Amino acid sequence: MTFIDRTITTIAGIIKSSYVQWETAGKNGLFQKLDPRVKVLFLVYFIVIVSLMRSLAAQLALAAFVFIVIAVSRLDVAHLYRRIAGFAFFFGFLIALPSAFNVITPGEIVLPVAELARSHRLWIYAIPKEIGLTAEGCFGVAMLTLRVANSVGLSLLVIHTTPFFEILRALKMLRVPDTFLMIIILSYKYIFIFSRTVEEMYLAMKSRLVGPVDGATVRGLIAGRIFLIFKKSQTRYEETYRAMVGRGFTGDIILPGFPAFSRRDVAAGLALALVGAAFLVIQHFI
Amino acid sequence: MHIPDGYLSPQTYVPLYAVFAGFIAVALKKVRQNLSAKNVPYLGMAAAFSFLIMMFNVPIPGATTGHAVGAAIVALVLGPWPAVVAVSVALIIQAFLFGDGGITAIGANCFNMAVVMPFTAILVFRLVRGKAAAGWRVSLAAFLSGYLSLVVAAVVTAIEFGIQPLIASADGKPLYAPYGLEIAVPAMAIEHMLLFGVIEGLVTMLVLMYFARNDRDGVYALQEAKR
Repeated sequence: MTFIDRTITTIAGIIKSSYVQWETAGKNGLFQKLDPRVKVLFLVYFIVIVSLMRSLAAQLALAAFVFIVIAVSRLDVAHLYRRIAGFAFFFGFLIALPSAFNVITPGEIVLPVAELARSHRLWIYAIPKEIGLTAEGCFGVAMLTLRVANSVGLSLLVIHTTPFFEILRALKMLRVPDTFLMIIILSYKYIFIFSRTVEEMYLAMKSRLVGPVDGATVRGLIAGRIFLIFKKSQTRYEETYRAMVGRGFTGDIILPGFPAFSRRDVAAGLALALVGAAFLVIQHFI
Repeated sequence: MHIPDGYLSPQTYVPLYAVFAGFIAVALKKVRQNLSAKNVPYLGMAAAFSFLIMMFNVPIPGATTGHAVGAAIVALVLGPWPAVVAVSVALIIQAFLFGDGGITAIGANCFNMAVVMPFTAILVFRLVRGKAAAGWRVSLAAFLSGYLSLVVAAVVTAIEFGIQPLIASADGKPLYAPYGLEIAVPAMAIEHMLLFGVIEGLVTMLVLMYFARNDRDGVYALQEAKR
């Protein structure tokens, strides 16, 4: 894949994922009906729980819980689990796999792999005589894989059941300043406007470039495109600012708050809080 | 460079959230002093620019492509404090919208890429450029500011990984990032010194040179020479 195709694919991926999330957030599923504040609190609370749990069985139980919630929220289970599995395989399993060996994590060898004539020592690195997978190392790999899978699963659950602006507005509860939230909202809008611009620029470039192009020319083209995007975004910012001033903007930003929680949201929030606490407790027994 | 959830223990990600919160508060205050009411749309634009730089794939030897983090060029063009806000916002959007980088690791990711990178980039640029206003020395300064800022950020990230077995393991079992400092630091440093740092340096230099030719007055780092 050329740099042009790769850039177009990246940009198209951003635009597509935003539309998919917008569409799934509007479905009539269990999680979509909840107040965004409950979902944001749920996300933060559960991700912290995932990071605190030290039992593989408890992590597996939480993975099952996430799967059930994703399914009853009428999300595309196959699509989401492909992403979760990809993240967990690469960032959890693959990266951590070498640490399962006693060269990195000493411990009880459960699967011998090789035996050297003698042990070696290279500066601060020690290579034992017998090399193999250790129980402690395998536990670490499994724990990291499940942690990554559960965290990504929880994030995708909330991202796909809540419009992005509602997630941002809900962050007010966590004392994130309105000014900072407004910067994120504006930036998000600019990103989609300019993603399209970048996509069009690259499609135009693709249609004009025929045959091989040397690296220096390509790098010059990319630098020019980045400069152009900066100038375009700068112009857009000036226009946005003038439009904001024209509508009475003085620099003070107060985002509208949320209405009071409904009974359903309070009940759901309490139920989720209890489920989370239960995971923390049961990890000591399973 | 984007740390996912699960790699850092609470003993690491909670303090890094606090450190990042301190930096972002100072950054917002500094930018507000200079830009007043304009700061919100300006920083929104800067954050979008920071996000979009990561979308530009650059061909690299080996018939593959790579992209820059962009924090160094954002810092050189806009200044370090706007860069702190801009890169942080881009990283937060990536975490919440695309799942790139963990929610618990937002503080760490923002500290590494939105604080360490911009300030290292500016410092290296000032040191290498000296009093030169143009020419090879400015190009070299731009390249090294991108290159070294990414390598330093990678080493800081590696230290965050590498301390996990020391501060958060149970009976010899790793609970978070499993590699100690003796493995995490050289692994991260070498790959960033040999590959990713070169891409970051190259993109920073090319874009800064383009800015220097076409909009010199709009570049923070080049204006500094006049002050």
